[in-house]
Amino acid sequence: MTAFLPKLLRLAVIASVLGGLYLVALHKHAERDETRQAAVALTPGCKAKLESYALHAGSDYRSPYVLRTTGVSKQARGYTEEDVRAIQRGCNLVDDTQGQLARDAARERWNAGRFMRGRHASCDHCHQNIGDKQDAAGQRLVGSNGLAASWVMADMYDRFTGLLLPYELRQMQCYINSSNGFKPNAADDLLRDVTAYSRFLTAALDLKIGNHYAEQGTDEIPASATLRRGDDYVRGAHLYKQKCARCHGPQGFGTEVNGKVIYPALAGPNSFTLDSRMNFGRVNSVIPGFICRNMPLGEEGSLDNQSCRDIGFYISTLPRPAGDKQGPLVAAWQRLMMAVMPPLTQYAETLGGGNHHVHQPPED
Amino acid sequence: MTRLAPLIKPLGAVIAIVGFVLWAHLGSGIARFHSQVKSAPGWDRFRDVYGLDSFGEDSYFVRAAQNGYNLFYFTHRYGWRFTRKTERDAVNSCAACHTPEDMAYAFVNSDRFDPGLGRRLSFEESVMRCYARHMDGFVPTLYDPAVRDLRILARSVAHHLQLGEGARRAGGELIP
Repeated sequence: MTAFLPKLLRLAVIASVLGGLYLVALHKHAERDETRQAAVALTPGCKAKLESYALHAGSDYRSPYVLRTTGVSKQARGYTEEDVRAIQRGCNLVDDTQGQLARDAARERWNAGRFMRGRHASCDHCHQNIGDKQDAAGQRLVGSNGLAASWVMADMYDRFTGLLLPYELRQMQCYINSSNGFKPNAADDLLRDVTAYSRFLTAALDLKIGNHYAEQGTDEIPASATLRRGDDYVRGAHLYKQKCARCHGPQGFGTEVNGKVIYPALAGPNSFTLDSRMNFGRVNSVIPGFICRNMPLGEEGSLDNQSCRDIGFYISTLPRPAGDKQGPLVAAWQRLMMAVMPPLTQYAETLGGGNHHVHQPPED
Repeated sequence: MTRLAPLIKPLGAVIAIVGFVLWAHLGSGIARFHSQVKSAPGWDRFRDVYGLDSFGEDSYFVRAAQNGYNLFYFTHRYGWRFTRKTERDAVNSCAACHTPEDMAYAFVNSDRFDPGLGRRLSFEESVMRCYARHMDGFVPTLYDPAVRDLRILARSVAHHLQLGEGARRAGGELIP
């Protein structure tokens, strides 16, 4: 009997721990269900975007955009209340991934912060205007990383990974590389809601499955699209300080006001990783394309191809987190550089008078 | 000879492994060991009818669509891990209940709230449920080619029909 009691006690402890874990899981599931049922507080950007596309629950959906641009009212299957809430949550996630505009960031954004190491990253930084960038006339912009165009071309061969890349897997890569973080589960609401929003955009814009649209991805700028003067770090540094530093900071650490990110970091621990497609050192045609089409804000299209490549090259030399593929040694080195380089650079700049970087070149 | 005796076992193991690999790749005919997808009856006609070559004659996407075709019409043969159905069963493939167009319309209408289940249902989940219920089998994981390639088949047909999100079929119902 005395030998039996400790065994029984051990069994009881194991059963209690497993039972406790099961209860926690039940509680978490119930919490998720509650969030799915809760009304969604939209960000100002999403409110305007979804209102302009007349998202509402009903048996039919007719896009005002399609009517305005083609003169034809097309009817598609409508959305239930649950679908509408998923689309709204997805829009919020793209616009404000880390919940800076939310009252309860963890709850309203599916704890997206769990999957990001930095505080700055938000989908909207690369997928501007909530993944649907248009000009004043409502024309979708070439190479603007449109989410709808990306959804209709999902599952195609991806030259970077060598995979037929599903939309969810692509989102995971964004979390790992662009956000310097971790991948969510493929069936996580976090990914599914963004997919729901992207799919709604395809209905609103009337895009067809498997067709290529000009707003898909970035309008890349290879070296062959320049006069082949070579990408120049010094020229890039000069241009960066002229055109980019006022928003992204002299060292590319971004701008925060009252703990809210106004302009995202391009370097340092809040930035994208060495593995990101935005890193010039990894893919040297993506970030120049992004810069030329989208930067500087308000002056888009003002930089020539070579300038965009030079800026991209310069940005890639700033210290940033290592990617998953680099291993622990490179990760440790990058950490050291992120700690050491900013004060050193700052000191070096004070030696030169502190303001040589804002020196304007003589006008031609 | 006695000096070679300790080498016999490891050598035998190496020969067995190399032999298995050579057999698997060259002599087995098992599809998973080959980059080429086995051409099932009717594939050439299917690729003509649905314009699969617009994705490239032998692209990754077309190979996946071809595997999807095999799974769709010969589920018991190509998706045998996930179904108990055999050659002898009358209903032993997806094609017994659906047409490729059904799949395409289901795809563009997926990821919606399902009143029966009380939650949103993705296309992949519908396929997984079909394996488990109608095919009297087992649930593949989300990324198994048995699921992915059916989605890619549906995508390619949806492209051919130029369907957009939420497209409705004239006079038809969605896959139940």
